[in-house]
Amino acid sequence: MDQLARALSGIVGPQHVITRAAELLVYENDGLPGYRLRPRFVVAPGNRAEAIAVVRALAAANAPFVARGAGTGLSAGSLADGIVMIGLHRMRQIYSIDPVGRTATVEPGVVNARLSKAAAPYGLHYAPDPSSQTACSIGGNVAENAGGPHCLKYGVTLNHVLHATVVLPDGELIELAAPRDDEIGYDLLGAFVGSEGCFGVAVDVTVRLTPNPARVCTMLADFPALDGAAKAVSAIIAAGIVPAALELVDAGTIAAVEASIYAAGYPTDVEACLLVEVDGPAAGLDDDTAAVQRICRENGARAVRTATDSSDRERLWQGRKKAFGAMGRVAPHLVVQDAVVPRTRLAPVLRRIGEIAERHRVRVCNVFHAGDGNLHPNIPCDGNDADEMARVHAACREIMEVCIGEGGTITGEHGVGLDKQPYMDMLFSPESLDAMCRLRDAFDPARRANPGKVVPVRYCREWNASPSARKAVGAAP
Amino acid sequence: MTDAHGPAAAHEPAGTPDLADVVRAARAEGRGLKVVGAGKWSGEGTPAARVRDGADQVTLRRLSGIVAYVPGDLTLTARAGTTLAELDDATRAHGQWCPLCPWGTDDGTIGATFATATTGPFGAALGRPRDLALGIEFVDGEGAVARGGGRVVKNVAGFDLVRLMVGAFGTLGIITEVTVRLRAIPAADVTVLIVPAGGGVRGASPPAGAKWPPAAGSSSIERDAAVADALIAAEVAPSGCAVLDQHDARLLGVPAGAVVARYMGSTALVRAGVAEAGRLGTVTETDGRFWTSYRARDPHPRMLRGSPLSISVARRLKGRFDPGSVLNPGILGEDAE
Amino acid sequence: MTVRGLPGADLCVHCGFCTQACPTYLTLDDENDSPRGRIVLMKALAKGGFSAEDESLMLSHLDNCLGCRACETACPSGVPYGELLEAVRADTLSQRPLQFVSRLILFVFARPALLRLAMLKVRLIRATGLSRLLARMPGRLGIACATLETTRRPSHGIERRLPRPAVARPAIGPDPAKPSPAAAREAEARAHVAVLTGCVMEGLLAPVNRATERVLSRNGYEVVSAPGQRCCGALHAHAGQEAAAQELARINIAAFEASRAEFIAVNSAGCGAAMKEYGRLLAGSPEWRERAMAMAARVRDVSELLADAGPEPAAAATDAAVAVDHPCHLLHAQRLSEPPARVLAAMQGLNARELPDAVDCCGSAGLFSLAQPGLSQRILAPKLENIRKCGASVVVTGNPGCMMHIGAGLLRSGSPAVTRHPVELLDDAYSARSAQ
Repeated sequence: MDQLARALSGIVGPQHVITRAAELLVYENDGLPGYRLRPRFVVAPGNRAEAIAVVRALAAANAPFVARGAGTGLSAGSLADGIVMIGLHRMRQIYSIDPVGRTATVEPGVVNARLSKAAAPYGLHYAPDPSSQTACSIGGNVAENAGGPHCLKYGVTLNHVLHATVVLPDGELIELAAPRDDEIGYDLLGAFVGSEGCFGVAVDVTVRLTPNPARVCTMLADFPALDGAAKAVSAIIAAGIVPAALELVDAGTIAAVEASIYAAGYPTDVEACLLVEVDGPAAGLDDDTAAVQRICRENGARAVRTATDSSDRERLWQGRKKAFGAMGRVAPHLVVQDAVVPRTRLAPVLRRIGEIAERHRVRVCNVFHAGDGNLHPNIPCDGNDADEMARVHAACREIMEVCIGEGGTITGEHGVGLDKQPYMDMLFSPESLDAMCRLRDAFDPARRANPGKVVPVRYCREWNASPSARKAVGAAP
Repeated sequence: MTDAHGPAAAHEPAGTPDLADVVRAARAEGRGLKVVGAGKWSGEGTPAARVRDGADQVTLRRLSGIVAYVPGDLTLTARAGTTLAELDDATRAHGQWCPLCPWGTDDGTIGATFATATTGPFGAALGRPRDLALGIEFVDGEGAVARGGGRVVKNVAGFDLVRLMVGAFGTLGIITEVTVRLRAIPAADVTVLIVPAGGGVRGASPPAGAKWPPAAGSSSIERDAAVADALIAAEVAPSGCAVLDQHDARLLGVPAGAVVARYMGSTALVRAGVAEAGRLGTVTETDGRFWTSYRARDPHPRMLRGSPLSISVARRLKGRFDPGSVLNPGILGEDAE
Repeated sequence: MTVRGLPGADLCVHCGFCTQACPTYLTLDDENDSPRGRIVLMKALAKGGFSAEDESLMLSHLDNCLGCRACETACPSGVPYGELLEAVRADTLSQRPLQFVSRLILFVFARPALLRLAMLKVRLIRATGLSRLLARMPGRLGIACATLETTRRPSHGIERRLPRPAVARPAIGPDPAKPSPAAAREAEARAHVAVLTGCVMEGLLAPVNRATERVLSRNGYEVVSAPGQRCCGALHAHAGQEAAAQELARINIAAFEASRAEFIAVNSAGCGAAMKEYGRLLAGSPEWRERAMAMAARVRDVSELLADAGPEPAAAATDAAVAVDHPCHLLHAQRLSEPPARVLAAMQGLNARELPDAVDCCGSAGLFSLAQPGLSQRILAPKLENIRKCGASVVVTGNPGCMMHIGAGLLRSGSPAVTRHPVELLDDAYSARSAQ
């Protein structure tokens, strides 16, 4: 057994250090099946003290590592290429819920939906709701600055994290708090959220809890033309309505969902459906509902159906939330994209995506957070078909070029990880990428935390990392 | 403090490349730069007043103007020297606004607002600078021009240089351009005075969940604070709420003991909010311009409290973004010893 | 090692939604003990190339699986996990010798004469009170005795009767003096139904079978007998003894075909789930495939039949606080949550309590509680704690395995709460009214 692994067994217990190749297989993936990398071993601390001790032991051994929450990420961000993986999934304790101050302090492995469940007795919930919320962890959400359908109104993870206790890769423990209005200081917490595990390991996180809305109204609008749906999205936003969620599901996705066990009753004879949810105090909600319906009709909606009760609402959401998985029925693999474009450019971008798909003979299913302009063009494919995969990757690159060309970005909520790294220099100048490297270096000068992710190493001006870290990321000495 | 390089110079670069030249020159010559927008938050007692004597002054007023604005996207990109008033004029024409509304006056610049992360009375409800900034361009302490974020409302590409720069008081980079999130101007925007119902306060029925009534024997300001808490806990919460001491009340022409609240949203929502406020006291509608004078009465710069460089990460950041201590030297209290 | 096929494994997109639904993952904290981890292991085993030591390690993670199929409910891609697991277990049976106790039970259950003899002996132990005496003993013997003790009903001698309402409630629903609408229809029966009597149910919980028959009759079904029926074979299939399961299925298909029944009523969630899958079990057999599918299509959980009929309402016959636990093989394997709720709702005035996490597995899982007592008890622990918290004194659940496992846990932890099958409560309600 690995000597380091033996040392860490002393901290977490031997049953929580996984070293055998056969048992490391499942840790080779996150939620994006296209990438596989085998960690050196997995160590799973059970609490804050163990997590800190593990990171310090790794620092003492000068060993690079990757922290992983629930392994549901979609950017190959938590893969460990022959280096140590710290599994935070055992750290599932909710330390406290403050119903008056509306905050909760949790360990990083606490699952997003379980936090909302724990807050439910107080009429509160944790607002950021990635589609994987039943399985993804708060720690992973913080690392990725995760979004979700309801982030349109309520904001992304960044807007809901108030404090984090972080063990830096060198073992130093620091407290990061949201900046105060009356105090000078850097927004280190803001920089930490979304740092994809490259800045350190959060061992506890304090988040804001949001009161449940008094009323919710969920609508499904059917659009015979995709263009009309896209236009309705920008019209709703421009009208000053802030829906709780505004999601677009296209025909390809509808076909996959309706063929699955999660059939939500979406019409299969239209080019797109918009799922629109408005919520808030009872007062004014009817006005918003009426306005949304009117705008949808003006943009060519054939019908706008309103969920009659909570189970109906659940069912409508089911079709959206299970869409990714439902595509598993279409083909064995799925390439998931996460680009964002300005909302007024949705219609032309969707048209271009359709053309690109046709040209490369790939199938693109669009299901996305339209209200934010956050596209998810998903391409079901067969990873074993080299010709098809070449076409898929060519199509992806062109889609990214279109989105960047329209003033957009390459990832809205999934993170860069390994998957989006090839596009980073399409989006940022070498100077900007170097600035990102310097930001990272302030947290992790030795670059031992999740090395080789997010910013391609070649853009980092200074590279004073230890030889082992260099080796881990495959950099030339 | 003595300055080895003679009298301080003043720079007014017209563009980002010019600014980068100024920074590079200062770095080469070992001079400090005091970065100024409109100079609105640089008075006595502000962090800006701590900038080391002898630093050259860089004023960003020529680095102004709106770079991109697509109303349908509800985003706008402006250069740092653009004033808040200019921002407001441009957006208002399209029925939109940027809810920054920081403490101070609207002749302050957008760059300074983000550099100092100065929030205002609506920050908690409508977003603070860190919540409203989508993208940023800056010049670091060695004259390199970098960008973070972008022009879309959701973006996790790369490490977050936007949050890094917002509130860093120009010590890690000089903000040259910002993309902000806008909102549609709501259908209804009502400001009300709430005079808590004297002895009858106890009988008032407060919104559910509020700490009410205030403790017996509490002072007028404590009682007002309790009213504000109750308003914020209500189902329809105000976008902003002001509790004034007697001096401020007199200055702003508000009856003593009144709490001022602003409700924004659809007509029905605002009506409901005002009705809820009515359960706490006597409500009268007042002029919305109150907020302009309220914000202006005190520039509320972020305090000198906190010593950022005591944190290892912050020290390393400073070392990597401004190794020559060119940018706003002294502002973080590094000379306080 | 040869794994012949991995039905549906390609549907898995590795999203991980299943992990939080998996009781063993949440207990063991290793993704190798999660559904997506096990699918990865199955694929790797099929590919081969591992040392014997590695293979047995990998198989141990498959053995840790309860087969609760909660992952199937969570899975957006529709991976047929239960089917996949059974296929791999069948293919690896030779590498993965079952424990003696499991083999013994499976052997006996497949042989009616032996089964009758065994059940007789077990009932004897129960009647002597020996099981009660030893129920709190540590270890497997204690667990087994406590499990047996939970099957005791008032008719078995020492009573654990549910408290009756202090004040007689007025009869709700149709006047018992007059024939109920259901009874009126009895002449032209709603349908002919044969009840799967089962192995454990008839052997140890015969009163539940009788209650099942009575409530079905009460709701307009004509109960017919299906002589020659046997154990459904679910346990054999789960353990990978495919041939034994297929043999039992064939016998049952023949027996139920011979009855006049339009429906086969099953009061054991695990058995119902298995019988609904007879078509798949015998898919490889040209002469049986059609018959198996036709038979499977007629299988109903008793709650489905009752829900279709109403069921006829009656005042609850007990004041006890009642909480519902959802058997995994009803909720996940059969996807039934509405019909059991309807059965409970038929009892007016029922003092119902909400059991937190009622959908979580109790850890029974057929032979699992015997084969892996340690893990099984760890999974059970939060269930017992939730029962204590919600203050229920009766936990109803539509599966004998869950009734016995939860009941034994309650007994051994000193809780006064007991487990019952929902039809027992409904039957009590009907008979209390008839007695008025």
